[in-house]
Amino acid sequence: MAAGAKAAQSQPAQSQPAQSRTGEHLEGSAAVRVRDLTVAFRTPEGLLPAISGVSIDLARGQITGLVGESGSGKSTLALTLLNAVPDPGQVTSGSVTVDGIGDVLALQGKNLRRVRGASIGYVFQASQNSLNPLKPVGKQLLDLARSHGVGDLRGLVREARSLLDDMGMNAERVLASYQHELSGGMRQRVGIAFALVLNAHVVILDEPTTALDMLTQSSVLEIIKKVHARRHLTTLIISHDLAVIGDLADRVAVMYAGRIVEDGPTQQVLASPRHPYTRGLLTAMPRIAGDIGEARSLPGRPPDLSSIPRAGCVFRPRCPLATEACAAAEPPVTVTGEHLFACFVAAKDLS
Amino acid sequence: MIEIRDVTRTFAGRGGLLGRASVQALRGVDVTIPDRGAVSLIGESGCGKTTLGRILCGFEQFDGGDVVVDGQSLRELKPRDRVPYFRRVQLIHQDPYSALNPTRTIGQILADPLTLRARHVDADGDWVHRRRAELLGLVGLDPEYVLPRYPHMLSGGMRQRVVIARALTVDPQVLIADEAVSMIDVSLRLGILQLLRDLRDTAGVSVLFITHDVATARYIGDGGELYVIYRGMVVEHGSTETVIQQAAHPYTQSLLSAIPVLRGIEEPGPHRVVPTGPLDERVESPGCLFEPRCPFATVDCRTGVPALTRRGDTRQLHACLHPEHRSVVAVPVAGPAA
Repeated sequence: MAAGAKAAQSQPAQSQPAQSRTGEHLEGSAAVRVRDLTVAFRTPEGLLPAISGVSIDLARGQITGLVGESGSGKSTLALTLLNAVPDPGQVTSGSVTVDGIGDVLALQGKNLRRVRGASIGYVFQASQNSLNPLKPVGKQLLDLARSHGVGDLRGLVREARSLLDDMGMNAERVLASYQHELSGGMRQRVGIAFALVLNAHVVILDEPTTALDMLTQSSVLEIIKKVHARRHLTTLIISHDLAVIGDLADRVAVMYAGRIVEDGPTQQVLASPRHPYTRGLLTAMPRIAGDIGEARSLPGRPPDLSSIPRAGCVFRPRCPLATEACAAAEPPVTVTGEHLFACFVAAKDLS
Repeated sequence: MIEIRDVTRTFAGRGGLLGRASVQALRGVDVTIPDRGAVSLIGESGCGKTTLGRILCGFEQFDGGDVVVDGQSLRELKPRDRVPYFRRVQLIHQDPYSALNPTRTIGQILADPLTLRARHVDADGDWVHRRRAELLGLVGLDPEYVLPRYPHMLSGGMRQRVVIARALTVDPQVLIADEAVSMIDVSLRLGILQLLRDLRDTAGVSVLFITHDVATARYIGDGGELYVIYRGMVVEHGSTETVIQQAAHPYTQSLLSAIPVLRGIEEPGPHRVVPTGPLDERVESPGCLFEPRCPFATVDCRTGVPALTRRGDTRQLHACLHPEHRSVVAVPVAGPAA
C-alpha cells in the first residue's frame, strides 16, 4: 500500500487555509489510532459503558471492516472518530488520534465542524434516507460547500460530478434530482459522494449496503472498492454482515459487547478464527457454498447495555468453551503476528 | 396445496403531468406450494415477489389467472367467500420491531386471535391459555419468561418468534416469510430459518420464503423449490440446490454472482455474471425482458420471447433462448479451522 501511504501524506491542498493541519502526524502505518477508549451512557441504572477499553488502528490506505451485532457498540465507536457521541453518551477515557489532525476528542466548536466532512467523511446508516426531500441533490451539495466555507464552488461541483461519474451515474441528472427520484442504490452512492467531495482522506461507512438488494449491494461494494483505491483513502466499513466485510476489507475487527474480541488480516481471521464468537458467527452464517448440516446458530442473544456481564469475559454466557477462569477476569489481548484476540481458551490452545 | 396459475397483476399508472405508464407487477406466474413444502421466491426489489405473497394473503387482487386452494378455485368465489381461504395463509413481516403492538404484552398479543379462534373451535378460556403456551413452546420460547413482557423487552430474534407464534394461532396451511430474517441479528438468523424448517413438521405448514438473498433459501429444508422471478415472470425454477449449482439463466447467475465471497474460506467461482446496467422499469423489450441488461444477449433475444423450457431431462425450467451453465457460485476452500 505504498501508493496509499504517499497520497495520504501529501494531502490535496485545502481550499481554506484556516484548516488545522498543525496536529501531530502519526508514526507508523496507522491513519487513525484509537487507544483505550471507553464511552459510557448515562442511564437510570447508572453510567453504563457501550465501549470498554477499545484500541484499534486503521491502517493507512487500507479498508478496515468492523463487524458486530446490534448493540455491540460499532456505530458508537465510529461516531467517536468524529467526536460525535450523542448525549447521554460521553467519552470517559481514551484517545482518538487522526493523522494530520491530532486528538479529535480535544477539538471543539468550529475546529471540530471543519474536521468533520473535510478530513473525515461519514456515510450514515440508511444514508439513502438521509437526503433532504425538499431540495435537489445539487442544492444540498452547495449547502455542504457553504457550511465548510469552500471558496471555489465551481471546483467543488466539478469534483462532485467526477465522483458521481466514477460511480457509474449520470451526474447531471443526479444533481438535478430530488431524493425520491433516485433509487436506493443511487441515494447510497450520493451519500458516498457527499462524504468524499470535500477531499476527506478518512471515510467511515456505517452499514452502507443494509436494506439494499443483492445486485445493488454488489455494485455499491464494487464502487467502494474502486473509489477507495483511486483516491487512496483510509476506509472503515461497519456492518453486521460478516460476508460484506469478508468480501471487501483488508483487515477485520470483530466487536462484541463494546469490546474488540478479534482483529486481524481478513483472510487469516476468516480462515482460522481464534475467538469462539468469530467462529460462532461464521458457522451461523447462511452461506451459498458448504455443508448446510454444519451450520449452527449461536445460543443466547447479544447483550444490551444493561445485560453486558460486569466481570469476566463478556462472551462467557454464550460461549461453548467457557471455563472458570473466564468468569474471574476479562481475557487480555493475545497477539500473534498481526492477529489479535481476547480469549483465555484460545490463548491456552496457542501455547 | 396451493396452485398459482398464470396470475397477472398490473398496477395502474399514477396520474401526474406525464401520466406514468402502468406497471406490470406479475405477467403470468405459475407457482405450486405443496403441503408441508418449502418454496422460495427470489429476485431483486421490484420484481413482483412481494406482490405475489400479498395476493395469497388476500391483501392484493389479481387481474388474470387463478389461485387454486386444495382444488377450490378462488376466481369462482365471491370476494367475501374467499376470506376463509386467505385465513389459511399467514404473513410474517420483515420487521419484527413494528409488527407487534408496543403497548400490549406478548400474552395479550397472543390471547386476542386465540380467543376468536376458541369460538370457531368451540373451546374455552383454558384452551386459550394452554394453546398459547403450546405455541410459544413450538417457536422455542419460554412462556413464563415471554408472556408478561412487552415487545421492546425482547431481542429481534425473540420478537420474530412471537410474530411466528401469532401467525400459527389460526392454524394456517402456509406461512409466508417475506424477508423474515433480514432484520434479525446475524447470530440469530439461522435459528429463525431452522424454526421455519422445523415448523413444516411440527405444525404441518408449508413455507413460502420470499428473499433477495439466495443463500438463506438453502436453509429452510429438504425438498425446497426455488423460483427466480424477474420483472413479474418466473425465469428459472427447479429444486433449490439444483438451481443454485446448475443455474442456466443469466439473471439467476447474476444473482448468485452478487453474493459476497468470504475470502479465506471461499473462492469466487470461475465465472462472474454482472448485469450490464441497473433495472429500468420503463424499458419494455419486445423480446426477452432481461435482454437490455444481459451480458450474453444476441440479436434474436431482442425479438424472440423465451418460454419456460425444460432443461434436458431434468426438472429444471428456464426462460432463456441461450441457456448455458456457468460456474458462478463460490466454492469452499479446504475446510476452515472452526
